Amino acid sequence: MASEQPPGSDQHSVAQTFSLKNKSLAKAGDLSRRTLLGALGVGAVGATLGAWPRLTGADIPGRNSSALNVAILGTSADAAARQALVDEFTSLHPDIPVRIQAIQGADWRDFFSKILTMVAAGDPPDVVYVATEGAQLFAEKLAEPLDAYLTQDAADVQDYFDDVHPSLIEAFMYQGSLYQLPLDWNAANMYLNTSALERAGLERPADNWTNQDFTSMMRAMKQSTEGSFTPYYWTNRLFGGVVPWLYANDTSFLTETKATGGNWFWDRFYADDPTKNQRSGGYQWLEPNAEDPRVIETFDYLRELVAEGLGVRPEGGGGNALVGLFASSRIGATPAGGYWVQGLHEAGMGADEFDVQFFPSWRTQRHQFGAAGYAIMRTAKDKDAAWEWVKFCASKPAMELAFPTPNTTPTRRSMVNQQLYSTTGPEHWKTFYDTLDKFPTSGPIPAPPQQAAVETALMKNVSTAVSGSSAQVRSAMGTLQRDLELALRSNA
Amino acid sequence: MSTPTLKSSTTTASRRTQSARPERDKPKRQQSLAERLIVPLFLAPTVIGMAIFTIIPILGSILLAFFRWDIISAPEFVGFDNFTSIVNDPTISVSFLNTILFVVVAVTLQLGIALALAVMIQGRMPGWLRVFFRSAFFFPLILSAASVSIFMGYLFNEQFGVVNWMLSLIGIPAVPWLTTPGGAAAVVVLVYVWQNFGFSFLLFIGGLASIPKEVHEASSLDGATGWKQFINVTLPLLSPTVLVASVMAMINALQVFDQPYVLTRGGPGDSTRTAVMVIFESAFQQLEFGRASAIGLVLMALIMAITALQFRLSRKFVFYQ
Repeated sequence: MASEQPPGSDQHSVAQTFSLKNKSLAKAGDLSRRTLLGALGVGAVGATLGAWPRLTGADIPGRNSSALNVAILGTSADAAARQALVDEFTSLHPDIPVRIQAIQGADWRDFFSKILTMVAAGDPPDVVYVATEGAQLFAEKLAEPLDAYLTQDAADVQDYFDDVHPSLIEAFMYQGSLYQLPLDWNAANMYLNTSALERAGLERPADNWTNQDFTSMMRAMKQSTEGSFTPYYWTNRLFGGVVPWLYANDTSFLTETKATGGNWFWDRFYADDPTKNQRSGGYQWLEPNAEDPRVIETFDYLRELVAEGLGVRPEGGGGNALVGLFASSRIGATPAGGYWVQGLHEAGMGADEFDVQFFPSWRTQRHQFGAAGYAIMRTAKDKDAAWEWVKFCASKPAMELAFPTPNTTPTRRSMVNQQLYSTTGPEHWKTFYDTLDKFPTSGPIPAPPQQAAVETALMKNVSTAVSGSSAQVRSAMGTLQRDLELALRSNA
Repeated sequence: MSTPTLKSSTTTASRRTQSARPERDKPKRQQSLAERLIVPLFLAPTVIGMAIFTIIPILGSILLAFFRWDIISAPEFVGFDNFTSIVNDPTISVSFLNTILFVVVAVTLQLGIALALAVMIQGRMPGWLRVFFRSAFFFPLILSAASVSIFMGYLFNEQFGVVNWMLSLIGIPAVPWLTTPGGAAAVVVLVYVWQNFGFSFLLFIGGLASIPKEVHEASSLDGATGWKQFINVTLPLLSPTVLVASVMAMINALQVFDQPYVLTRGGPGDSTRTAVMVIFESAFQQLEFGRASAIGLVLMALIMAITALQFRLSRKFVFYQ
């Protein structure tokens, strides 16, 4: 029938159909637009509801959680390595869930910046592993003193103090109160490359060697080695940079005094210690001392080492490349602590390919050390639970779980033994703890609450001081003095 | 019959009069609630985003600049103390001076290299090679500045860096790249320019492609070729792109942070310390958030002043077709 229809009618039919289709499309379009708008509205509401935890920050790990949040400097692998510790704690305290939060940072200063950012964001951890560099910043602003807990559980922690040198504890006293129980520490000892010594026809120096002996050794190493070899490598930072030399020369870039107080602690926990009366309520660094003649003398000594090609111009940072350089015998000596042993072992150095000695003496042989331990935050949800964690971590079984290899020096003397260094060396591993026993006036890294500003001021002027003439040292120390005055006036 | 006709003509006249009225005199049709809400609704996400992430933080920074605040304690009003401390702190003035010097050198190099390479790429070249170069020059921009800086730090290390090893092959002694003021500044500029010239390069490629071929052909017929053609024809026609590229490069360079922070930490001395580094150090290391805000405001004013100056100068030097 359709074929019999005139063309016009056919067109009409098409037009009608088209029009109908259009109408239905328009209708469908109206509907679909409404539907679409509705769907968009529902979608927006759904997305908002779905993202609500994100928008409110409720999904931030640890927030609104009853678990004890413990922040450490490191990677998720470092957090995983502590799982055995967490499991052991949980078996003892099933009512206290613990969550280790690894926070990456180039150095301690970087780590503390991130903790402060967490505080600013309203999400501070409950417990933080804090090194000497930040001990006074935390004590001043963030941490809870342990005094009441120590008094309450004195019998439980006496075993810890019996095993730990009082110098390490004193480093964490602040204005008469104790804020942390240090678990690991490292002194700035001198690592020696055995093959570099042998090439120079030298042996490990005597315990009481001097800075002049050191210079002679570096010269001998340089003369005996050709090619890409640097006798002395050092980094520009608060630990292991210029400070060990300043301490050896019986001075520092900050005037060191000690706070009164703390007798309650020393009388209770170190009653029989012969150095008890020398102990204090903590170190204080209140004034700059950069223009002290001995400071200038020390910087000039280092400048001469650099100028003579015996030492490198120090770079900032943690010296990440240092292990590789030392292990490949491109460095003769460098200041470091027990934390270096495992790294050298993993880099392929045999137990007899490196050794360690005390830092050289100058006017004294006072050493620099740094240590670290857990600090309870004032904002901690459950301070009693946090204290249980701190107390547990200071127990010997827990420390054995935490430090199975010599990648640091445990603060418990009984753990620094032949067994720990049996496969890695060095031969004179006793040097590590002997540093404190033989030089009990050894002091911590000079780190007032304004540590970050102080470290920045030091680092920038060290590099200037050791890179020019003797006159430039005096000029740089003048600038350091000014910068330190500004730094010590700052907020932190 | 006449009445309807009259009515009809009256209605027509009335319609004409109505249609002759200006648009503004038309009685406005009552908009539905949905119609009235539709514009604000579409604008809302952008406005809210701008308010939360730009306007409120700027206002907060302005306010904070008059307080002393360490995150932990309550803020304390200190008036203009934070601004006077900027003037009295030589580190801050040095860092601003470093930043300006850095901008002059880095932006000049960045634009110069990008323009030279863009002109070369636009010349005779197989298509695949052009694509390769475009990708290769842009590639550094997508890398993390921190990762690049760590890597470059190894390359320029005095003791074991590849750069010094290569120099040693031709008898040049080890250069203390990162431990002398001049060497450190040079490395920071080099790394920054290497990573950022790709963006200016892309802008120039787009600008060069938009110049009509006929213009070049006509100028060739008039005897302008090579360098003469570039200076008298290409560059004037490319000047709007140069303006955009220079404004963006300058704003970016004034905020340089990653490269000097990772490579040198601002040293040796203060030789590579920049304005943004001082802001970061003041806020997150020294807990002087008020002072950091004050320095930030000074930097913002500097960026605005330089950008305004660029646009003012552009009236003389930029040629719009």
